[in-house]
Amino acid sequence: MKRTLRRSMMVMVVAVLIVGGVGYLSYRVVTEHNTWINMSYNNHISSDGGLTRAGTITDRNGVVLAKSTNGERVYNENESIRRGLLHVVGDDTVNIGTSMQSLYRMNLTGYSFVWGLGLPTSLKGNCDMKLTVDADVCSTVYDSFDGRKGACIVYNYETGEILCDVSTPSYDPNAPPEINEENQESYEGVYVDNVVGSSYTPGSVFKLVTTAAALKYIDDIETKEWYCEGVKKIGGDDETSNVHCNDGEAHGYETLSDALGNSCNIVFAEIAEELGPEKMTEVAEEMGINANFSVGDITVKKGHYDVSKATPNQLAWSGVGQYTDLVNPMQMAIICSAIANDGKPVLPYLIDSDTSLLTKVGITTGGGKGSQMMEASVAQTIAKMMRNNVTNFYGEGSFPSGLEVAAKTGTGEITLSNDDGKSNKNNAWIVGYCQNDDFPLAFAVVVTDVDGYGSTYAQPIASTALQACMSSIQK
Amino acid sequence: MQWLLDAGVVGVRVILPFYAAVIVYAIFASMRRHRRPQKPLLTLHNLDTGEKIPVLFWENSIGRSRGSDITVEDPSVSRNHCVLMRRQEGWMITDVGSKSGTFVNGERVSSNASQAGKGFINSLIQDTKENINKGLHAVDDTTKSRTKVLIDDEICVGSTYFAVERGDEYDGEVSPSRFLRKISNKPSMKQYKLMVLITIFHILMAVEATWDYYDNDYMPFVYCGAFVAVSWTVFFISTIVLKRINFELEALALFLTGLGLMLQVRQSDKMAIVHIVTAVAGIVGFMIIVKLLEKPDWVQRFRFWGMLAAIGLLGLNLVFGSVQYGAANWISLGGISIQPSEVVKILYIYIGAGTLDALMTRRNKIEFIIFSAICVGELALMGDFGTALIFFATFLFVAFMRSGDLKTVLLALGTAGVGGALIVRLKPYIAKRFSVVGHSLEDPNDVGFQMSRVLTYMASGGLFGVGIGNGFLKYLFASESDLVFGIVCEELGMIVGYILIGAILLLAVYSKDIATRSRSTFYSISACCAAGLLIVQTALNVLGATDILPMTGVTFPFVSAGGSSMIACWGLLAFIKAADERTYSQKRA
Repeated sequence: MKRTLRRSMMVMVVAVLIVGGVGYLSYRVVTEHNTWINMSYNNHISSDGGLTRAGTITDRNGVVLAKSTNGERVYNENESIRRGLLHVVGDDTVNIGTSMQSLYRMNLTGYSFVWGLGLPTSLKGNCDMKLTVDADVCSTVYDSFDGRKGACIVYNYETGEILCDVSTPSYDPNAPPEINEENQESYEGVYVDNVVGSSYTPGSVFKLVTTAAALKYIDDIETKEWYCEGVKKIGGDDETSNVHCNDGEAHGYETLSDALGNSCNIVFAEIAEELGPEKMTEVAEEMGINANFSVGDITVKKGHYDVSKATPNQLAWSGVGQYTDLVNPMQMAIICSAIANDGKPVLPYLIDSDTSLLTKVGITTGGGKGSQMMEASVAQTIAKMMRNNVTNFYGEGSFPSGLEVAAKTGTGEITLSNDDGKSNKNNAWIVGYCQNDDFPLAFAVVVTDVDGYGSTYAQPIASTALQACMSSIQK
Repeated sequence: MQWLLDAGVVGVRVILPFYAAVIVYAIFASMRRHRRPQKPLLTLHNLDTGEKIPVLFWENSIGRSRGSDITVEDPSVSRNHCVLMRRQEGWMITDVGSKSGTFVNGERVSSNASQAGKGFINSLIQDTKENINKGLHAVDDTTKSRTKVLIDDEICVGSTYFAVERGDEYDGEVSPSRFLRKISNKPSMKQYKLMVLITIFHILMAVEATWDYYDNDYMPFVYCGAFVAVSWTVFFISTIVLKRINFELEALALFLTGLGLMLQVRQSDKMAIVHIVTAVAGIVGFMIIVKLLEKPDWVQRFRFWGMLAAIGLLGLNLVFGSVQYGAANWISLGGISIQPSEVVKILYIYIGAGTLDALMTRRNKIEFIIFSAICVGELALMGDFGTALIFFATFLFVAFMRSGDLKTVLLALGTAGVGGALIVRLKPYIAKRFSVVGHSLEDPNDVGFQMSRVLTYMASGGLFGVGIGNGFLKYLFASESDLVFGIVCEELGMIVGYILIGAILLLAVYSKDIATRSRSTFYSISACCAAGLLIVQTALNVLGATDILPMTGVTFPFVSAGGSSMIACWGLLAFIKAADERTYSQKRA
């Protein structure tokens, strides 16, 4: 019998293994239940049980963006609003991962870990959600994209409220497209909110980073002068080492401020060369280019600045926002917010913190102050230069009057342009903010796949967006 | 007013998990009560050294080997010399083929290995003839090749002499096993109170199924009533007719069976009826097996017929089996599909287990190996993955419990590994099941279909469930058996799911801890194997459905929708019941 007793331990060994397996299951339940719940086939949230009983989503003025009535999810009656806010609100599916209806579907439907999705409607309490965006602004901006691809973000750099968050291409949530082989090109990236989920070659908007690096490390920088002949060889003697300005234009004698206004590639290339990879990388990282930002629970796609393997010529190009540089629109708006706030940005948020979500537990609304991106003096100097760009280069008339816009345009070239200077795959950029205290707006606009400059494509959209935001604030 | 009704519904949902925990606790708390205190049954007084050795078990091996229950340091004693055992008829001793023989009061006792001289084949043929002549009549072999031993007798093994004395002559300490440490004579709860608790639980589930479904359908109460009637009938037969004092095991099984039934009520009426009918069949089988196992030596008599039945059933299956769900392990009988392999696994445990003196003979070992080989061959021809896995587990448990040989276990695992690799190669759909483990959610509309839904709906249920009948998992094919853990978690909540796993695991702890207190190794071995099998089934069901192990289509004991597996689970439970010494030795006054 003693032997039998000893052998019976085998049963306990098996039991321990099983306990281990069940423990692993529990671990997965705790860490992965959000993913599991959000599967599109989950009838508790996707058929008659879920979204059709979910809370209402409104914009900052109480305009209903999505609500559930009579067992149906109903979106705003205006098609431009529906399309303009598609990536923020989401549709019936969970295809747009960063949208409110995907990200917070559980909360909208009253999910909690303890109660699951099983609470009767009468006990769920308020699952409504109020957003900071303005529906009218977004619809206006959506229309102004006029079918082009890109993204536009405008947020209040004092409070962090996002007023405008538009990503194109978009579609009507009332009639989601059937994407097949024939039409997939026109719907490419349609499920991505480009504001937070894409990163682009920045072109000249990256010169803000190079400027910050120059201000930090070069002592006599504000009095220093450069001479631009339109083309200069950096890091070599042959043609391939040419760094040239747009269309080979020669800018002559310039200060740093002039160079930013002219968007002179040669000056910024020389600065990058002078500072070297370590200092450039250090400043780029201080400004969060390689860092993770987030808007509440939405992770913003990282930018990219890596010159560790760059040749001197490539380092030079990296200083003007080419080479392998990538930035994200939201990230650029946050940098503008830092410039407006003496180097320390106010971070953006989408969910109005006054909303009474019963199951708010687990939601990060975002907002608050970010970490210092640059010295206050550097921020103030860049602010002056960006304002100078508008008053002396772009023209005050390019923007709604009274906003005192400070900005920087850019044209990110996907394939480096030849000496004759054309590429029809450009990213047209404009980033900036308003210096008028009544309208504390930071913005970033990118229009992709265009044959033209930031000033031609992005700047008019920014102007429209700012005009709309201005009236929104004045309401 | 709606919110008040809703609050009531949610209230019931919250109460059920805690209530289930109370029931499981009460059942296991009661199991450790009403036990005799652990003290020696006899004392062997070594007349040479004066040492007093306590005899603790109903069956005790005596020999030179360290694993013997009573170790004799005497070179003239064989490693396994003889077995001293207690039966209702009194104490007996039998020699298990020692070199120098065993003597009681100077007379040599007979050896059960005496047939060995005739050659194995001859003895097998002779034994077969004998078995056929005797037929199925129960013949009591208790005293065959055994010698009675009385108090004050003198036992001689090798050159060592022992005087047989009363148990209380031993004055040392005896440490009881963990589970039974705090034993007392009074039950923590009267058994009928346990039944009342369980019945109220089932009625509460019926209330929830009716109330929560937003539908004026009172069928849950009809099924619940039928099941309550069955439960109490079983209870009265056990306590009043058979005068047994212990009812915890049946109570646990009835609790689980009823819980499974009340989930099916809102899934499929037909399955609910099948559930009740097969539960009744299982309970009848349970009672018959418990009765048959009353005398351990009686059991040995039917071994031959058991083997024939097992081989025959698997053979029948091969010949007449219809291919269902990719495996030929079903036989259709008058519209009802049954899996003979479910019965065979019970027979297999029954044949593999044995009394201590029987286990020590070479005959027994060779018979077992031949029998296993035939079964494995038949199973291989059948080619059902789930059945093969369960059988493999059964074989492993039985083989290890019999021989304690780790080499056997490793060899078996190695063979199974090679066999498994072959199967995976030959049958791509099985390979698919393996490769999807851990990745079900990446392919939720093909191979990961069932598992991904189990995970999603499990999480959707939260801790307290969405209410009976409100789940979506129940609409999936075969969810009432293979995915029942998911349904439990979705509709009753994860707490209940975990309590059910815990209850089955505790059953294993219990079986292990009563192993030395049962009346024969036959009971210890069969109970541990049965419990092992129940927990393995639970693990395969739960972890297979939740993307941690490959899906095998094994059922959750008692909870999964009825069928031959329900009957088999009750059959397995009978082994554990028989191993509890209170089942036969104590009677209600």
